[in-house]
Amino acid sequence: MKKTCLGLLIVLAAMWLSAQVANVSAQAPPPRGDTDQAAAQTQLPALSLDKTSLQNGGVITVTGQAEPGKPVYLELWSEQQVRASRFDSDPDKQTGKRPYILYMTNNLPAVYRIIVPAGFADVLDAVKKEGGKWSYSKALSDLGADEAYSVPGRSAIDRYQATFLGGIVGSRGDKLAAMDDQENRQRSMQLIKVRFRSPGKLFEPVLAVAPDGTFTAKVKLGEGLAPGAYHIRAVSGKNAASAPASFENTISFPIIYLSNAGTSLNLFYPFLLCLGISIFGVLMGAGGGFLLNPILLSIWPLPHTVVAGTVMPTVLFSQASGIYNYSKIKFINWKLGLSLGAAALFGGFIGPKMTELITLDQYKFVFGWILVILALLMFWQTTPGYLAKNKKEQAVLKECKLRAQQAAKAKVEPACDPKAKE
Amino acid sequence: MIVAFMGQEFKINLWLGCLGAFMISIVSSMFGFGGGPFMVPLLTVGLGLPMYLVVGSSLLAIAFNTVMGSVRHFQFGNFDLVFFLIMFPAAILGGYIGPKIAKRISPLWVKRAAVLGLLLLAGNLLGVY
Repeated sequence: MKKTCLGLLIVLAAMWLSAQVANVSAQAPPPRGDTDQAAAQTQLPALSLDKTSLQNGGVITVTGQAEPGKPVYLELWSEQQVRASRFDSDPDKQTGKRPYILYMTNNLPAVYRIIVPAGFADVLDAVKKEGGKWSYSKALSDLGADEAYSVPGRSAIDRYQATFLGGIVGSRGDKLAAMDDQENRQRSMQLIKVRFRSPGKLFEPVLAVAPDGTFTAKVKLGEGLAPGAYHIRAVSGKNAASAPASFENTISFPIIYLSNAGTSLNLFYPFLLCLGISIFGVLMGAGGGFLLNPILLSIWPLPHTVVAGTVMPTVLFSQASGIYNYSKIKFINWKLGLSLGAAALFGGFIGPKMTELITLDQYKFVFGWILVILALLMFWQTTPGYLAKNKKEQAVLKECKLRAQQAAKAKVEPACDPKAKE
Repeated sequence: MIVAFMGQEFKINLWLGCLGAFMISIVSSMFGFGGGPFMVPLLTVGLGLPMYLVVGSSLLAIAFNTVMGSVRHFQFGNFDLVFFLIMFPAAILGGYIGPKIAKRISPLWVKRAAVLGLLLLAGNLLGVY
């Protein structure tokens, strides 16, 4: 029995071996002219980096070899990931119906870029000239960089069907079924545009490719980008990509990384800015958020959702202490405050939901007009008529506050009749 | 509704007040600013209440909006803890220093400067320059 088994094995092995040999011999004498191509079919691009780490940005030189004559692109991405969302309310081209779908992902690279051959600089300039309406997918195909786009395309994207009622009750809506790979890739391009906004951040035309297929690029990583590992891979046509090469971007105190905003910054700047503006806010009698939010957005590449959501709670302390001080001297009408507070509670429930439905441009536009209204309101408060009235009001306010304080000390019910004083 | 405050009584249109507070709080939580500068004129001009009643009560109403808005922003993942920890102490410090400076300078000139600053900022946001 054992011998039979062994014999069978040997026969099988011999058959397999002879098949292999036949295979090799069939391929062995290659047609002369195709030698290069046959070799190149298996030749994937290769690349290496001159450094393994950067200190808060810098220049890293990429060199490598790809198949001669073929275009080469470099895809660069950070391991650190960020969130992005986009509300699709554009009418469908065929049906004209608005989809009202919210696309959202937590997995976009915090830094993403495709380095294109230097010869594409004019094409990139043309894309930049298109202004805010530029399309990332069109830019990719214009630059011939479709094949290079891969890492963000695999980000897991959730989508929600928004409804008007859902908006009122502050829900994102029903989660829709996952998209197929092709659509996920398409939607990821839109999210990339929302996140990085300008073509200059997403493409860099600095790749020099020699006729023999060697390429080199000085890739510049700006300051204030995400720390951690970065990867670069070379892509030269379909299914011809190199293994990624990696480097580390390190940042050190006082530069810190805001993981939700996807930005590194020197922590003293926002501290000083916030300090200055909250002092000015006290003086002008309007909260700092009016000035702070637009300034933060204009200085750092922060998402407007994070700015709104993070600045808002900073005033909690001053409000709480204000309420405490007023309530100690019974200077708050609870009936009025709570009634209006109930209405404000509903408003506060709905508003933050709407922040993620609008784009940064819409945020800026509406905020701009709010500031115009506020400026008019402030201007009205500097007119002589208002000042005269306000002087009286302030005197009454002072008087009544004083009485409230005295009443609180004496532990009696406060009373203040402004008319009695006149 | 009749509001009694420090021995005085005021008759107000509560519906108007609540509607206004609702609208102001939607916008203010959506854009992340305090609604005080809009809430105070709503109560003084819109409802005809005196300033000494409005200062405390409007603050209370706004605080409800701030708390709810903050919670909701947190829920939607719009809150960055590190960023908050940088700005929060600055906001507290500013609230402490501000009133000390306020006594020494003319509020009229601060307001005028604010008008100019707000218009400049608005122009920037609206892409005027």
